[in-house]
Amino acid sequence: MKTLLDRIRALIRRDSVLHDIDDELRSHLEMEAEANRKLGMSDEDADRAARKSFGNLGSIKDRAYEVRGGGFMEMLLQDVRYSTRLLLKHPGFTVVAVATLAIGIGANTAIFSIVNAVLLRPFSFPQPDRIVIVSEDAAGTVVSYPNFADWKDDRSLFASTSAVRSDESYNFTGGGEPERLQGRLVSAGFLSTLKVSLALGHDFTADDDRPGAAPKVLLSHVFWNRRFNADPAIVSRPITLNDQSYTVAGVLPRDFEFGPEADVTIPIGLSADRFKARGSDPGILVVARLLPNATEQQAQVALNVVYARLEHEYPSNNTGRRAYVTPMHEHFVGSVRQPLLILLGSVGLVLLIACANVANLLLVRGSTRKREISVRVALGANRWRIVRELLTGSVLLALIGAALGVLLAHWGTAFIALQLPGSIPRLAEANVDLRVLLFTLGASVFTGLLFGLAPALQASRLSLTDALKDGDRGTAGSRQHLRSAFVVCEVALTLTLLVGAGLLIQSFRRVMQVDPGFKSDNLLTMQVSVNNPDGNQIDSFFKQLQENVRRLSGVKSVAVSNGLPLVGVNHPTYFIEGKPLPKNGAAPFANRYTVSPGYFQTMGIELVKGRVFTLQDTPRTPLVAVIDEALAKRTFPNEDPIGKRLSQSRNFSPVYEIVGIVRHVEQYNLDNPTVRLPQFYLSINQISPDRLPGSTQRINLLLRTEVEPTSLTSAVRAQIAALNKDQAVFNVRTMDEIVSRSVAPRRFSMMLLTVFAVAALLLASIGIYGTMSYAVAQRTREIGLRITLGAQRRNVLKMVIGEGMKLALIGVALGQIASFALTPTMNHLLFGITTTDPLTFLGITLLLSAVALFACWIPARRATKVAPLVALRYE
Amino acid sequence: MTDPKADLLQGTLDMLILKALSLGPLHGYGIIQRIRRMSDEMMHVEQGALYPALYRIEQKKWVKSKWGHNETGRRAKFYRLTKTGEQQLKEEEASWDRLALVVAKMREAT
Repeated sequence: MKTLLDRIRALIRRDSVLHDIDDELRSHLEMEAEANRKLGMSDEDADRAARKSFGNLGSIKDRAYEVRGGGFMEMLLQDVRYSTRLLLKHPGFTVVAVATLAIGIGANTAIFSIVNAVLLRPFSFPQPDRIVIVSEDAAGTVVSYPNFADWKDDRSLFASTSAVRSDESYNFTGGGEPERLQGRLVSAGFLSTLKVSLALGHDFTADDDRPGAAPKVLLSHVFWNRRFNADPAIVSRPITLNDQSYTVAGVLPRDFEFGPEADVTIPIGLSADRFKARGSDPGILVVARLLPNATEQQAQVALNVVYARLEHEYPSNNTGRRAYVTPMHEHFVGSVRQPLLILLGSVGLVLLIACANVANLLLVRGSTRKREISVRVALGANRWRIVRELLTGSVLLALIGAALGVLLAHWGTAFIALQLPGSIPRLAEANVDLRVLLFTLGASVFTGLLFGLAPALQASRLSLTDALKDGDRGTAGSRQHLRSAFVVCEVALTLTLLVGAGLLIQSFRRVMQVDPGFKSDNLLTMQVSVNNPDGNQIDSFFKQLQENVRRLSGVKSVAVSNGLPLVGVNHPTYFIEGKPLPKNGAAPFANRYTVSPGYFQTMGIELVKGRVFTLQDTPRTPLVAVIDEALAKRTFPNEDPIGKRLSQSRNFSPVYEIVGIVRHVEQYNLDNPTVRLPQFYLSINQISPDRLPGSTQRINLLLRTEVEPTSLTSAVRAQIAALNKDQAVFNVRTMDEIVSRSVAPRRFSMMLLTVFAVAALLLASIGIYGTMSYAVAQRTREIGLRITLGAQRRNVLKMVIGEGMKLALIGVALGQIASFALTPTMNHLLFGITTTDPLTFLGITLLLSAVALFACWIPARRATKVAPLVALRYE
Repeated sequence: MTDPKADLLQGTLDMLILKALSLGPLHGYGIIQRIRRMSDEMMHVEQGALYPALYRIEQKKWVKSKWGHNETGRRAKFYRLTKTGEQQLKEEEASWDRLALVVAKMREAT
C-alpha cells in the first residue's frame, strides 16, 4: 500500500523526483571532478574523467528512477499501449472477447443496479435504520386506528410515531383535465418522525390533524413539477380534491420516498371518523422512530405489554391481537431480497462462464504469441514483467467490455423497470449510479485478472527450447488440460443455471394453470369513483351507464362491482343465523363483493346451486346474498345453505337470505393458496340510495366483450363523459393484464433466469465447440495418419465426439451435484414443484447433453474430412 | 524468478553500503570512497550500481537521506543508517561470517 502511494506520488511529482536524482548525481560528479583536480588534472580533464568513470549517465538515471518508484506507472502505460496495439491487430478475437465480456458484465451491472436501488440504496432521510413499521398482523398490513391512538403518545415506547395510510385516491379537478391522484393519509408527526424537511412550505401542525380543521395538503415533488411547473408560489394556494378545497401547505423533497408513490399527502385527522371503528378495516400502518439506544426487540417487548392491556380493555376487537415491529427496510423490501439475490448469484455464474470462454480464447491466442514471448524471456525479460503485461491486456479487455456492458445495463435496467411497474418496491429509481459503476469497475478488474491469470502464467512458463523447437506442441498438453477444465466448469455452471430456470418455468406454468374461478379473457375493467352526496343520482348514473355501455357494439355483458379479484375487496366478519355466535374477536372473515346482477355472467363465475342476483332484487324486496363454495363448505358442511340467513353484524341487522352458491375466486394471488378467505356477494341494487354515497367511492365497471377489449376503451370513456363530464376514469385494464400483473414478480424472476441460462448455454456450447475445434486442429496430422493407415472415418468421429462428451458429462455430473446443493435456496420461488424435481433435472440434463453433442459433432465431422496428404504436409 | 547469483551480489553490495554508513552519515561519492578505503583499494563500486542500491535500501527504510553540505561546502545528499539498517547489517555480517566459516572448513577438509 505504502509503495503504491509512493508510486502515485512519484507519478504526480515525477519532475521533482527526477530533479532530485539529477541534483544528487551532479553533486557526485562535481565532487569527483574536484578530487580529480586535487590530483592535478586540468579542469577540463577532471570533468571528462569524472564523467567517464560514471558511465552512461542516462541509464543510471533511468534505473535509479525505476527504483525510486517512477517506473511502475510508465510501465503500465507502456503495457496498455502495447496491449491496445495487439487488440487492434486481432479484431476478430477482440470483438468476440469484448462482446462476451460486455454481455457478462452488462448483465451483472444491470442486476446489481436493481439490487442497489432496491436493497442497498439507503432511504433519503437520516438514520433510516432507526425507523420501524408497526402492524397488527404478521403480514405487515394494518393497525386499527383507535388502538394506535391509545399508544401513539406513549413516549416510553417510541421517540415519535405517525399513522400512514397509502393507496388513497383523489379526483383532482379545476385546472385542465381531471386527474385521479394517488394519496397518502398521515398524522401530523409523519415528517418529523422521518426527520424529513420540506422542499417548500411547512409541515402539518397538530391543529391541522383533527376533524373539521381547514384541509391542507402536501404535494409530491413530481406532482408539483407536473401540474404546477414547480411554481414556488403554490404554497398557501388552494387546490380541489374530491370537490373539496385544500390549501397547499408545502412540497415534499425530490428524493422523498415512503411506500407506494403518492401525489398528495393529507392529514389523517380530517377523516378520523372513517377510522373510528376498533376493527382492522380500514386500517393504518404505523411508522415510528425508535427511542435513542433502544432496539426493535425492546420496542416489541414494550408494545406487547400495551397490547395485553388493550386486549383486556377491548376484548371484542382485540382478542388475540398483538403488534409486530419490523425495521422499515425489511418491511418494504424483505419479500424481494431473496429473489434478487438469487438473480444476482445466477448472473454471477454467467459472468464466470464468460470468463472461462475468454480464458479459452486467450489460451489459443497465447499459443500464437508463444514464440514472441519465449524469445523475450530468453533475451532476459523478467517473467513477472511478462505476466504483468499479459494481465494488463486482459484487464484492458475486461474494461472495454465493461464500458459496453454499462451501456447495456443502462438500457437493460430501464427495460426491466418498464416490465414491472409497481410490483417491486423502489425499482423505479434503479439506474447506473456511482456505486454501480464502482461495482462494475471492481467486477471487470476481477474478471480481467480471473480470465487472464491462467493463460498469463501458462505463457510465462514457456521455455525457449520447447517453443522454438517444437512449434505448437511444446506445452500443448497442460494447455489442453486447462482448457478441458474450463469446459467442465462451464458445463457444470450452465447446468446449474438451466435447472434453476427450468424449475421457475415449470412453477410459472403451473401458476398459470391455476383456475382463478373466473374467465379473464375478453374482459375490460376500469374504475370509476363517484363523489355525489345524492344516492338517487348515483343510482341512476350507474344504471344509465350500464344501459348505454351494453348497447355499444362488441359488448356482450356489463356489470359494476365494489371489489374485484386480484385487485381489492373488503373483508368484514360474518355471522349465520341459527348457528352458535362466535366469541368476541373470533368471528370469521370473508371477502365481500357488492355487485350488479350481471356480475357473475360478465366475470364468468360459475353458479353451483340456486340463483344469482336479478333485476327483481331491489331495496324493497327481501335482502339476498350469494355465497361461494368455500363459505358453504366451511359453514354448512352437512346442510343446504340455500334459504339460510347471513349477516355482517352480530345483532343480525340487516340480514341476507342465501339464494345461491358460486365458485370460489382467487382473491389475493394465484400462487399462494394459504391466503384464502370465504366469499359472499351482496346486490348493489339492494343498497338503499341513502347508503350509496358511502359505498361507491371506487366502483369497477366490467365489460365482457366479443372484440379485443381495449378497442372499446375510448367508446366507454365517451359514454361516461356524456353522462358526467367531470367523472374521473382510471385504472383501465383488461382482466388478463390484472392476472398477468399479479404474477409479474414471478414472471420477472423466471424470464431473467431463463435469459441467463440461455446465455450460459450459448457460451458453454461455444466453449465446447472452440475447445474441440482446437483439439482437432492440433491433431490434424495424427488424425490424417490414422486415416491413411486405414482408420474408419466413423471411428474418428466417435473418438473426437467421445473426448468432447467425456468433458461435457463430467461437467453435467458436477453440475447436478451443484444444483442439488443450490436449488433449495429457491424453494420460496417455486410453485407446485420440488427443488429436486426429477423431470426437470432429467430434461435439463438431456437438453444440455444434446447441445454439447452438437457442439462436438461439428469439429468431429471436420476431423473426418481431413485429407491424409494434407495432414501429412501439415507444418 | 530472480537469478540467485544476482541476489547474492545485490545482498553483498547492500551490506557494503550499510557497513560504510555504519561509520557515520555520508553522501554517495563518499560511500564509494569509503568502501574503497575500507577494502584496501580492492573493492570499487560503480556509480551505476550504487545509486539504484541506495534508493532500494532507502525504500526498505534501512537508511534515511537528507540534503546537506560537505566539508568543502558543496550541496550533497547525505545518507544515515537507521535502527532497522543497523539490525540488517548485523544480520548480514553474521550470515557472511557463517558462510566464510563454512567455506573455510570445506577448504581445510580437502
